[in-house]
Amino acid sequence: MVMENLGSSLRDTLKKIARANRIDEKTLNEVVKDIQRALLSADVNVALVQQLSKRIKDRALKEELSGKLNPRQHVINIVYQELVALLGEPISVLLTRHTVIMVGLQGSGKTTTTAKLARFFQKKGLKAAVICADTYRPGAYDQLSQLCERIGVAFYGESESSDAVEITTRGLAELKRYDVILVDTAGRHALETDLVLEMEAINETSKADQRFLVLDSGIGQQASEQAKAFNEAIGLTGVIVTKLDGTAKGGGALSAVAEVGTGIAFIGMGETIDDLEKFEPDRFISRLLGMGDMKTLVEMIEEEPPIEMEEAEAMLKGEFTLKDMYKQMDAIRKMGPLTKIVQMLPLGSLGVDIPNGALQSTKETLERFKVVMDSMTGEELEHPRIIRSSRIKRIARGSGVTSDYVRELLKYHKAMQRAMKGVRSQKEMQKFLRKQGVK
Amino acid sequence: MFEGLRQKLNQFKKTVTNKEHELDDAEVEASSNDAARLAEGPQETAGETYTPPAVHDDEAVGVSRSAESATQREVPGEATRTTSGRSLFEREIKEKDLEEPLWDLEIALLESDVAMSVSEEIVDTVKKELIGTKRKWRQDVGALVEQALRDGILKVLDVNSLDFDELVKKAPKPVTIVFTGINGTGKTTTIAKLAYRLKNQGYAVVLAAGDTYRAGALEQIERHADNLGVKLIKHQQGADPAAVIYDAVQYARAKHKDVVLADTAGRIHTNVNLMNQLKKIERVIDADLVVFVDEALAGNDAVERALQFNTAMAIDGSILTKVDADSKGGTAISIAHATNKPILFLGLGQKYDDIVKFNPQWLLNRLFGEAET
Ligand SMILES: Nc1nc2c(ncn2[C@@H]2O[C@H](COP(=O)(O)OP(=O)(O)OP(=O)(O)O)[C@@H](O)[C@H]2O)c(=O)[nH]1
Ligand SMILES: Nc1nc2c(ncn2[C@@H]2O[C@H](COP(=O)(O)OP(=O)(O)O)[C@@H](O)[C@H]2O)c(=O)[nH]1
Ligand SMILES: [Mg+2]
Ligand SMILES: [Mg+2]
Repeated sequence: MVMENLGSSLRDTLKKIARANRIDEKTLNEVVKDIQRALLSADVNVALVQQLSKRIKDRALKEELSGKLNPRQHVINIVYQELVALLGEPISVLLTRHTVIMVGLQGSGKTTTTAKLARFFQKKGLKAAVICADTYRPGAYDQLSQLCERIGVAFYGESESSDAVEITTRGLAELKRYDVILVDTAGRHALETDLVLEMEAINETSKADQRFLVLDSGIGQQASEQAKAFNEAIGLTGVIVTKLDGTAKGGGALSAVAEVGTGIAFIGMGETIDDLEKFEPDRFISRLLGMGDMKTLVEMIEEEPPIEMEEAEAMLKGEFTLKDMYKQMDAIRKMGPLTKIVQMLPLGSLGVDIPNGALQSTKETLERFKVVMDSMTGEELEHPRIIRSSRIKRIARGSGVTSDYVRELLKYHKAMQRAMKGVRSQKEMQKFLRKQGVK
Repeated sequence: MFEGLRQKLNQFKKTVTNKEHELDDAEVEASSNDAARLAEGPQETAGETYTPPAVHDDEAVGVSRSAESATQREVPGEATRTTSGRSLFEREIKEKDLEEPLWDLEIALLESDVAMSVSEEIVDTVKKELIGTKRKWRQDVGALVEQALRDGILKVLDVNSLDFDELVKKAPKPVTIVFTGINGTGKTTTIAKLAYRLKNQGYAVVLAAGDTYRAGALEQIERHADNLGVKLIKHQQGADPAAVIYDAVQYARAKHKDVVLADTAGRIHTNVNLMNQLKKIERVIDADLVVFVDEALAGNDAVERALQFNTAMAIDGSILTKVDADSKGGTAISIAHATNKPILFLGLGQKYDDIVKFNPQWLLNRLFGEAET
């Protein structure tokens, strides 16, 4: 909620400079302050924000305003470039024989991510195996062995031993014939000296090629400090950010990679084993700033009408039936949540009221919705109005959900339809799109 | 711990005090053009207040306080009134004077992990308090700010205070306590710590294995129950958590146990189905206390989570874990503010006795750099 306000306040300020035909220092200070606020409430490290805003200011004043760009685009472009630079290159995984060690703070998601990664390699056709080197947390052995069993991945652990280094040694010997070996370790923080030493020993023993720090997206100002300590202990090769299915913005993760000088490899988007996604800097930055799709905005600057916008426009035309919603859900994967598209449109000024949360459904919900829609007839998809209680019952039975769930879906569709209508009825949108470089 | 805010505050106090002194000096200069006799003036040190001279005589007017230092500054003795008639020794604090230092202060709060929205509100309170305050000349503005800030933070932390021990003692048995929170914050560990604590206080404790979702969750709480020698009520993996907790309460009732500590699976607040599950637990279980568990490492998101969990299942108090990880403690302020409910305990490590009662004054003392009590 807060972030949306910030995002919109940032948009307002940026709008202001858009009207000015040059940037004066006072306006720039205002914009930079707004950017600071957005970054700070996204948990970006305070010192880093201060450095960053100085750079943005310097560059915005110093660098030539090229003929093509208005001042707003100029500033956005700089902010975007600076953030991309901080994020570093996304880390790509090795698809050869190698060993991975998973480290991080307590409860950050190491064990879950270990299983997710094993699944990832398995899908790539590699033989993956897992070692449980967490002898600390009660039930750690059971957690990981159960997860491995579910996906049919080889597992080595010793439920009664308390020596994680020895377990690692024996595990590696046992699992020699596997392609990728993942070592899960206990959670620890920088001040737990014994545990940090243990981690160093496990790392040495495993000779891990890939050393991933697993970070909770919700972590605050401690992120840089902790990441630094982990890096000093074992030399990190990448970061995995978890729990991004929530509302945290992940500024801590940004600060961590900026501190360590590595990049992000994956993001965790849920508790189940397939909820692991490749890291995409653009989406991450958009989320961080609570603004529309930065990449699209930047592409607009380059005056190439991005396909995404055309698709969005097409979607905003017509009746918006359930069928359209189905298509939209398919498209969401490709072009990011609709929130972002809508955020780029001047909805506020058109007085369109979009129900809070209507645009923010999780991927999971949308996928479940699609399953439900698969149980509908073509007629129902075209004319949702005809869906009454007996049809609802049939659809519910067909898709294995409750009738209430089907009703929820219909409610969601109604809300979307209303929102779309609001947008569509405004000719201004077309004008806006054209102005933004979309033909 | 808590060094960041302490330093920033001292720095803040210095900046704002210096700034005010500059302004004072400017005003003094402007109003004493006719070179009045100069007399000794007061020297400010943080925390002391200065009473302006009330009496003048022909001798050099000097109000010397007991502790005069070598760096005394000089002030005009006669010019006790400015031309505008306003007492020279009283200046009104203006919004403009405070803008910069207050932003610095906000940054300091953010650095301690107080969420942006909450920092803004606290700093706003300070600002309102200060603007228009008639300040005696050279009175330490820093001290004024510190007081306003203390009051602002204390107001957030001291909400609806609730004594956990009293509640457990007084409430009809069995006392049922449900723990909620996002994934991995320390719910299960905290339950084990509290079971240990309550057992040592002589209570008979029952644990409810309400996390029927996460792999290894049953085994985890089972280990704790074994280690501590307390009864655990569990169903199989995938069972309805409300049913497990219900059974635990029934068991406690039948066996005259004192306290039921009910675990729940960690969940992300954007997951509608899982949040509805919490609502169901609330309907089925008449909990005496709903405790929200979050970690001191959490940043701004702490506010949104606390709000969402509070909506699903009204929170009575919160526990902040992993305070041992060098965190600054500001998260406590964010959560208390969002829930309008007190922080009950702090988790300080992974051992069963690593838990202490939360005391607002303790956090304040840390923030403001006083000796630990
Ligand atoms: N250093 C430290 N670690 C803690 C503290 N409290 C819990 N932990 C650790 O944090 C991790 C997660 O704790 P759990 O109690 O399993 O957390 P949970 O909230 O029940 O987790 P889920 O059930 O998975 O959502 C474990 O490794 C605990 O040992 C604390 O106060 N300090
Ligand atoms: N929603 C969500 N939960 C996650 C994610 N990754 C891990 N978790 C949960 O976070 C909690 C702690 O994870 P775990 O893997 O045990 O953390 P570890 O202590 O670092 O090994 C568990 O409840 C997991 O189910 C994620 O990406 N999204
Ligand atoms: Mg683990
Ligand atoms: Mg748990």
